[in-house]
Amino acid sequence: MMKVGLVCPYSVDVPGGVQFHVRDLAEKLIEFGDQVQVLAPADEDTEVPDYVTSTGRAVPVRYNGSVARLSFGPVVAARTQRWLEAGDFDVVHIHEPLPPSVGLIALHLAEAPVVATFHSAQTRSRALQAAYPLVRPGLERIRARIAVSEDARSTVVDHVGGDAVIIPNGVYTARFARARATQEWIGTPQRPTIAFLGRLDEPRKGLQVLAAAVGRILQDVPGARFLIAGRGDATQARADLGRYGESVEFLGPLEERDKASLLSSVDLYIAPQTGGESFGIVLVEAISAGALVVASDLPAFRRVLDGDRGGYLFRTGDAQHLAEVVRTALSDPEGARTRREYATGIAERYDWNVVAAQVRDVYTMVTEAAQVQTRSALPSMREWFGRKR
Amino acid sequence: MSAAEIALLVLAVLALVAVVLWSVAQRLDRLHRREFQTRAALEAQLVRRADIAAEVAASGILDPASAVLVSDAVLSSMRAVRLVGEDDTPQAHADRGLIESELTRTLRTALDETDPAIPARDTAAAEAVERLRHSHYRVQLARRFHNDAVVQIHHIRRLALVRLFRLAGHAPLPRTFEMDDAPV
Repeated sequence: MMKVGLVCPYSVDVPGGVQFHVRDLAEKLIEFGDQVQVLAPADEDTEVPDYVTSTGRAVPVRYNGSVARLSFGPVVAARTQRWLEAGDFDVVHIHEPLPPSVGLIALHLAEAPVVATFHSAQTRSRALQAAYPLVRPGLERIRARIAVSEDARSTVVDHVGGDAVIIPNGVYTARFARARATQEWIGTPQRPTIAFLGRLDEPRKGLQVLAAAVGRILQDVPGARFLIAGRGDATQARADLGRYGESVEFLGPLEERDKASLLSSVDLYIAPQTGGESFGIVLVEAISAGALVVASDLPAFRRVLDGDRGGYLFRTGDAQHLAEVVRTALSDPEGARTRREYATGIAERYDWNVVAAQVRDVYTMVTEAAQVQTRSALPSMREWFGRKR
Repeated sequence: MSAAEIALLVLAVLALVAVVLWSVAQRLDRLHRREFQTRAALEAQLVRRADIAAEVAASGILDPASAVLVSDAVLSSMRAVRLVGEDDTPQAHADRGLIESELTRTLRTALDETDPAIPARDTAAAEAVERLRHSHYRVQLARRFHNDAVVQIHHIRRLALVRLFRLAGHAPLPRTFEMDDAPV
């Protein structure tokens, strides 16, 4: 049993990757038997789980070229101090310690060993560089750095120096694995189903790439059905895809459960993203649901799929190549089966059970090291600071 | 400006310099302590890994040749110079890294199961191997955290201020610990 304090710099009122990560990690650690407290900004009238302590409302501020909702000021600092004292933590785990919010405050105030997780890939910002002399001593207090992806890790290497261990974002894979197939989305050899999930009007999600490939795919497999799910303005997509008539169905935005069901029903799931994916969590969700994946060969996707062992890859943005790969995937049951099987093993690696256990290993290492007595290590420094700690 | 004012100004500047020096020295002290702590933690994990490797070698689940070689690598690791409290020279640490890498490589070959024709091991054996892999993962973590501490020390000791005022005292400049800890 460990007493863990998790710090989240972003408001829990707003959905976001870091917030979900902190919530899921907290709940998994509680399930493991740890005592977990979360400190995060939240509106006064927001219902929060009882393990969350609010630092108050996050304030929109211009920082680093965009408006971010951050939490700072003497009230926040005092609340953070009280939370740290009341929690008496074995380890304080700060998520995204770089943005000037409650994470940075906790970093300076925490007396317990600090672990930090870096989530985003950030470019070296002018603001951060100007503030660096102020931030640096705080960053030196971090005993263990975790990065959730390769890109986040390069951020650490560039900003902080040194290195970070990669522990990916977790996925509750069981939720996807349990999903029931929906009859009308299940394909047949003559009428295979091909799914797209994601915002319809955001070019980075790549619907236009799939749209450009639909015609060619229908030439090869005339019965193919395309199921397009997601939020956003569908005008452009409908204009591009209208001429294929009933071969293309728009499902609109789907609930989490229906998303999982769609993924487990269809013959192929297409991930034509053209960028902006540093982690590829969508692929992990898809393979957890048992989907056979055809994805663009972005570095993040390539890493998740172990090259093309866990799915099929096509050249990012290349509709013609996408059509070719889809034809291969649909006409090669043996290759599809081995990829599906391999993908099951990948999904396990990203399961919260595995991921949270790795995070716990980090906690153990850090707390063990912190207990080592250091008096004899540095004779000269001891003379200077003999009475301190 | 009167003499008193000048004296006051000089005092203020001296006080400022003292505060800056004190805070940098404190950071340095904290980092050096942490470097020692992480090195001790790494040492503990290396010993634990060697222990479990010895258990795996003695359990009869490895082929005889692997068992002998793993035992031998474990022995070398156990006889090697500790990372704390013994010989703290860079050479001693580098030698230890070579010895631990040897254990890693031997384990990697001994546990290689990529040939699908290899029958599945019984559960007790699989559990021992699982524990070995877990302790190997902890070695990776411990080494990463130690090397991070070292890199930060190097960073701060490069500052002109630190060199000019010899804030590091006689503390030796720590080195990163290098070994093969890629997954087995």
